[in-house]
Amino acid sequence: MRNVRVKFTKDGKSRYISHLDLNRCMLRAVHKSKIPVWYTEGFNPHPFITFALPLSLGVRGKCEFMDMKIVEEISNDDIKYKLNECLPDGINIVNINEPIMKLSDICYADFNIRIYGNNIDTNKIFEELNELLNKKEIIVEKKTKSGIKNINFKEYINRYNVLTNDDYVNLDITLCAGNNSNVNPNLLLNLLIDTVKDDLYTDISRIKLYDKDMLEFE
Amino acid sequence: MLGKKLEKILLKVQKPARYVGGEINSVVKNIDEINVRFAFCFPDVYEVGMSHLGMKILYSQLNEEHDVWCERVFAPWPDMEEQMRNNNIELYGLESGNSIKNFDFIGFTLQYELSFTNVLNMLELAGIPILSSDRKELNQIVVAGGPCVCNPEPMADFIDIFFIGEGEEVDLEVINLYKKCKKNNESREEFLLQASKIEGVYVPKFYDVDYNDDGTIKSFKAKNLDVPSKIKKRIMIDMNKSYFPKSFVVPSIGIVHDRAVAEIFRGCTRGCRFCQAGFIYRPNREKSIETINEQCKNLCESTGYDEISLSSLSSSDYSKLYDLLDKLKCWTENEMTSVSLPSLRVDGFSDELTSRLKSIRKGGLTFAPEAGTQRMRDVINKNVTEEELIKTCEFAFKGGWTSIKLYFMIGLPTETMDDVKGIVELGQKVVNTYYKDGNKTKGKSVNVTIGVSSFVPKPFTPFQWEPQDKIEVLKEKQKTMIDNLKSKKIKLNWHDAETSFLEAVFARGDRKLCKVLKLAQENGIKFDGWSDYFSFEKWMSIFEECGINPEFYANRRRNLEEILPWDHIDYGISKSFLEREYLLSCKNQTTPNCKEKCSNCGAACFKGGICFEKR
Repeated sequence: MRNVRVKFTKDGKSRYISHLDLNRCMLRAVHKSKIPVWYTEGFNPHPFITFALPLSLGVRGKCEFMDMKIVEEISNDDIKYKLNECLPDGINIVNINEPIMKLSDICYADFNIRIYGNNIDTNKIFEELNELLNKKEIIVEKKTKSGIKNINFKEYINRYNVLTNDDYVNLDITLCAGNNSNVNPNLLLNLLIDTVKDDLYTDISRIKLYDKDMLEFE
Repeated sequence: MLGKKLEKILLKVQKPARYVGGEINSVVKNIDEINVRFAFCFPDVYEVGMSHLGMKILYSQLNEEHDVWCERVFAPWPDMEEQMRNNNIELYGLESGNSIKNFDFIGFTLQYELSFTNVLNMLELAGIPILSSDRKELNQIVVAGGPCVCNPEPMADFIDIFFIGEGEEVDLEVINLYKKCKKNNESREEFLLQASKIEGVYVPKFYDVDYNDDGTIKSFKAKNLDVPSKIKKRIMIDMNKSYFPKSFVVPSIGIVHDRAVAEIFRGCTRGCRFCQAGFIYRPNREKSIETINEQCKNLCESTGYDEISLSSLSSSDYSKLYDLLDKLKCWTENEMTSVSLPSLRVDGFSDELTSRLKSIRKGGLTFAPEAGTQRMRDVINKNVTEEELIKTCEFAFKGGWTSIKLYFMIGLPTETMDDVKGIVELGQKVVNTYYKDGNKTKGKSVNVTIGVSSFVPKPFTPFQWEPQDKIEVLKEKQKTMIDNLKSKKIKLNWHDAETSFLEAVFARGDRKLCKVLKLAQENGIKFDGWSDYFSFEKWMSIFEECGINPEFYANRRRNLEEILPWDHIDYGISKSFLEREYLLSCKNQTTPNCKEKCSNCGAACFKGGICFEKR
């Protein structure tokens, strides 16, 4: 038995499915592909799979990870090929590798966010966003299991870069992610929407995951 | 690809994956090679529609035609509808994302009366004229099938073609005729006239209805000598040769019935007198074990499902059930695939069965005694006894089950308050059975859920002439049950009497109801099957505005001589048989099932199925 780490995308039409649905899709794909994976031994046996970090519904995932256990001889290329045959539009297997880090090592995530104005000039959005990010404190409401609490979003930002063009404002931002400290970029974007008072459309992609030393997760 | 306009609204609605398509096995074709575009519309939300087997069959079948592209369309939930209307997005097919406005066919499946308003709303959302008479060109042919078309009249002003009976053959014949007419530049009228001559096709615009002063039907006549005076249902008599898909579209989100489904037989031998399906799908026709096994294999292979449901109206009635389960076991066990049997009868649950269905979840068992007393069960011809129910429950409790659901109806013909009390009493007897020696699971209590719906008299049943209990009476009966409930182990659930009333109105309605439906749509009525959207007050004011008394349809006892709105539709079941059954029910007399003895219902006219098998 060996462990494998499946790197995949969750983009296109599949970015509209929830994490729970993703789990179901993957279980079904693994079952359908007949890849020799380890099945749980309960009353309802199913393939044993584990995901790295849930992705919010609507966010494009460019580097998602899933771990599973292979029980018979099969090449990684074969696994990739067979799984890709069984997945809906937008979920694609990028590669299969031996896990190097632990899932709990994830500490940061890179996001690319494109912000489109509805009835507002992009330059105005650009200014407001910069002003927001330059504040000492960015207080946002975060829903937790114990209720809503105010957090300082600024503490979760590792680095960022804002650019603008005629169509949209481009925000590249690295945020805390993982078990210890995790934040959803939508908290910042909702605050921006309130500030500019415009029905902004935001297209968010999560593009990379890192460990505490900013080494790319693998 | 999704349009930018659509992407911008998707994150503002609940469950956006309902509206994007792209699921495994969904069919995308090259538009340049397509001659006929077909929008298969299910007038309810995605999760409900995607669970429907009929849609899966016809979707695959139509898409096997190289120049036909069938796409799926579901009713957008009101939050999505609002976004679509605000952003000028017309109702679109999930496969192409194109508006269905200019499709050749817009097909609806009418599974329940409370979805009728959704049909109209979907047409309107697509920008298609709602009234058949406002559609003039040879496109936008609105067709409908499904059990509710056995009385098509309340929808007659909106639908161009009804498919009566089973759609597997007739839809292709109509499409081929359409192709021919399109090629020859023939008119819509000409196409519909030719279509009306195909068996199983009903084009309501070619018929006239006259009414008596009291609102009953005086005459129903074809306008034109060329169209049939009676429309006979189509049927697939050999179920082994009947088309069945090799794959299903596998939804990426959870749906109501998320598993592979194999239909093991059509029709039912039982003849429960309230059950429309038990009559309109006659005769009973089984698939062979080999066919079912092959179809299950194909489906699991192509979908990745690890659960198969053996579907039918009463699955434990399949003649070689144990052999079938043994055959399936040969491969399902190795592939970690479970087999489940829905619609088990009280008398169909046994040791032998459970030992074969290893995967029957210990979650809960559901049985439908339908009525609380033996007399009442005899009236409805349910042919299940109290001893059988208690025996089955005893067996289930010994096997470790602690939760049982029982379904009943109130408002059945001849019902008295004693029959109503009998429902709760039967529930109590099941609870008592649990606490008898040796039945109880240590440390666990028993849960008996009693689900009670209100009886809706349906066309093509022996009760088609019967009035429905008035809403006040149904509520009184519900109250009686609560008052007689003694045990906390019993949970009582029921359907709203108001929704059952509306169902009764449209189930046996006539063409006068078309204007009611139209006005309802104009007033924003939709999703009547969902309690969050159903408004009885709104409906009542619409009936009033149209000058129509809904009680005329729901609560009136019809005369046996009366012309019924669906008398021109022929399901093979003779009216005289239904009348005989009705009179037997009045005398608390039962009728044996088709396997024991033929009761000459008329279904033998289809020349197959159980009618011609050895008894």
